[in-house]
Amino acid sequence: MNILNWAAEEIIRVCGNVDFKLVLMLNNEDDINIRNGQIEKMLHASATSLAMNLLIDGRDGFFYTNNVQPEALRLFIRNAAETTRMLEPDESRTLADPSRYYKGEGADLKVYDATLSTIDPAEKLRLAQQNNQEGLLLQPNLISFQTHYSDRQHRAHYLISNGFLGYEESSRCTLTCIATAEGADGQHPADGWGETRIFFKDMPLEGVAKVAIDRTLRKIGSKPTRSGQYQMILESPIVGSFLQPILNAMNGQYLHGKMSFLADKLHRQVLSPLVNIVDDPLIPGTRGACYFDYDGVATERRTLFTEGVLDTYFIDTIFAKKLGMKPTTQGTHHLVMQSGEQTLQQLITNTENAIMVTDFNGGNCDPSTGNFSYGIEGFLIQDGQIVQPVSGMNITGNILDVWQRVTALGNDFDPWETELLPSIVFADVNFGGL
Amino acid sequence: MFPLTDQQLHNVLSTALNRGGEYADIFLEDSHLSSLELQDGTVSQAQQVMLYGAGIRVVQGTQQGYAYTMDLSPEALQQAARFAGSIPGTCTAPAIPTLQPMPQLTPETPMLEPDASKNILLAINRRAHEISPLVIRVKATIAQRMQHIRFVCSEGTGFSDNRPRTTVFISVVLQKDGKTQMGFGSRMYQRGAEFITPELIEELLQDTISQAQFLFDAKQIEGGEMPVVMAAGSSGILMHEAIGHAFEADFIRTGESIFTGKLGQRICDSHITIVDDGTQPYDAGMLRYDDEGTPGQRTTLVEEGILTSYLHDRISARHFGVQSTGNGRRESFRHMPLPRMRSTYMCAGEAAEEDIIHSVKRGIYAQTFTNGQVQIGAGDFTFFMKKGYLIEDGHLTTPLRDMNIIGNGPRALQHISMVGNNLKIDHSAGICGKGGQRVGVSQGLPTVLVDKLVVG
Repeated sequence: MNILNWAAEEIIRVCGNVDFKLVLMLNNEDDINIRNGQIEKMLHASATSLAMNLLIDGRDGFFYTNNVQPEALRLFIRNAAETTRMLEPDESRTLADPSRYYKGEGADLKVYDATLSTIDPAEKLRLAQQNNQEGLLLQPNLISFQTHYSDRQHRAHYLISNGFLGYEESSRCTLTCIATAEGADGQHPADGWGETRIFFKDMPLEGVAKVAIDRTLRKIGSKPTRSGQYQMILESPIVGSFLQPILNAMNGQYLHGKMSFLADKLHRQVLSPLVNIVDDPLIPGTRGACYFDYDGVATERRTLFTEGVLDTYFIDTIFAKKLGMKPTTQGTHHLVMQSGEQTLQQLITNTENAIMVTDFNGGNCDPSTGNFSYGIEGFLIQDGQIVQPVSGMNITGNILDVWQRVTALGNDFDPWETELLPSIVFADVNFGGL
Repeated sequence: MFPLTDQQLHNVLSTALNRGGEYADIFLEDSHLSSLELQDGTVSQAQQVMLYGAGIRVVQGTQQGYAYTMDLSPEALQQAARFAGSIPGTCTAPAIPTLQPMPQLTPETPMLEPDASKNILLAINRRAHEISPLVIRVKATIAQRMQHIRFVCSEGTGFSDNRPRTTVFISVVLQKDGKTQMGFGSRMYQRGAEFITPELIEELLQDTISQAQFLFDAKQIEGGEMPVVMAAGSSGILMHEAIGHAFEADFIRTGESIFTGKLGQRICDSHITIVDDGTQPYDAGMLRYDDEGTPGQRTTLVEEGILTSYLHDRISARHFGVQSTGNGRRESFRHMPLPRMRSTYMCAGEAAEEDIIHSVKRGIYAQTFTNGQVQIGAGDFTFFMKKGYLIEDGHLTTPLRDMNIIGNGPRALQHISMVGNNLKIDHSAGICGKGGQRVGVSQGLPTVLVDKLVVG
């Protein structure tokens, strides 16, 4: 906080009575990579950095430095002021209305493991080694079996000149395994699995390796299948990628740029009636939970889609002014889609001619029309049975059209993710292959 | 810039190797990035980022310990060195010779003053609206980075370098009959802003606006497997995704790459030669020295169809008993070096582009791309075609847009049946991501015919 106060005083000394936002970030990280039983990489670091927005007479500059020594900061602020003054005014670039700031009354959200940076790196190394050993014992004939452990502890102090002082903290620990196997035709199929927790004590001691290996081995022999219309089962971990173009189109920046296929669609039915999504950042102990956003604005539970009807856009302070709309929020924090009753296996069993997509491989979605083409890999399903791994195929169509054809939802989302999205079945999706 | 004497750096290297290890290095960085952006007709956004710190690495075989710090006091560096040197199982360390005088490679390039950048951006906006009345929105950015580096290693060698990089990026939105289309273009070089001339701006704007206009009439066609003629230039993404990544020797060392064990073997037709080049002046992938002290160089990956080299950093080179090819690169002092591409391209062949197009009964001519990726093990790559044409009976017919092209690296190489005489390096803002690190690259290709790829 001393650095923040010092920087605030220096800004006032150099620029006079101007608006500014200061965020002082303090991060710790550990990163360990084990491959085939051997340590490959170990990284340990602590970092302090300062982010600053200066708003001088309607001019807005963003500045970032990790050199917070007083002499360096003095020069940094002086240069920032010169650069900002050179800009042309933009009346929409202001700080948020102070009445929208978080007032600091919330209970602990339980998203920070204070012990993380004090845990001996040797203990983290043991966890990674144990996991790697588990994988090598399960399947000794892999080309490569890699375990990656990483954690991050984040703290940030906020000082906004029109009346906001805030503090946020969060942490995460992630264990990821990647298995590479000898495949058909000289191919080396690879896949992985990862688990993330907020607290180190909750890290899974076993099981991650097995999932990664199973996911790799089932891909052996994958090849394109014939082009045509299939039911598509989208596996839970990648539903977020298929939802992202829709979330982008809800953003004020896209609406203002006339590059949103959701322009003029507020309160209209745009997705299947089966789709209900909320953003709820106020559930303690969940990843993404927070009391305020980067502007200091208090977060709240927000409904995005009710039975497929678009309930809101993401409009921050700047784009609210540009678009003449009421501000909402900058984006999502902890997304929750209402899930269904069926397990993934039941979704598979209940389809006849389908492809279960387990990963995307490149592609794009046009933000103005929603027309997309994505590379995919996954599994061909006939009469409720997986019959063949597939790869080297595309899916094409219009993203809203496809999201209107949701026919079933699974119950299999990962509660430790920032987006809780189950596996989903879509009807009549165009697959391009042979 | 870096308040450390040779003796202090020598002491840090000694601490790093105190518990053993074969090799240690220190990478000191002081980087300044600044960008100005024009939007809605005004230059109203500026960004500046300053990065300052040091990364210390200890290597033992294929194991690496790494720590970084933003505090360049000898005490903080010693502490970081102690962690980097804590990787278990290290051997006896070699003696560290006295540090040799370092070559200072490049004089500092003056960066563009903000006022000058602002004037260029305003000129871009004016000219865009003059070129087409359909233009409803212009966004343009000029970004400059100056990276100051000092590098020393336990072999007693090192270097200092100043690495300027300037990027100009333009996007336009056109509106016609209630529909909007977007075009974009960019250039990125490792130099000051002197390349941003009125002629370059005119060329970029003409390309960008005509690209958006083209998209109003373009369409997608039903997908499937078909011949693809890759136009010269940005089609170099084929070299980057289909071949380049899978030649990075960390993936060869671990056996993950589909090209593992293929050194010295024929992998494609004898009219194909592919290089990765760090010596092209001002190119985004140019390296006078790479980020672990190996001199910049040109590496032939495939010579007349034979796989002749992978892309090595120090670790993979030592593993395979070869010299590093100078491909050890890192995003910043926060990152460990990895084998990365520089400027990757296929050398020109002999065919004329029109002969290549005329040889195709039905296929597509792919002209510009947005993004791509590859799965190293399976070799499956993908890239997204923004603009192209249908080829029917040897002629370009229907304009095409927004189609994903998928192939398999080794098979795509084997299916290249014609190579054009018109090699073009694409100097768009090419940023390659790997292992959470982003570095500047370029790529190039003459027009080639790939007999079959999946298009959709």
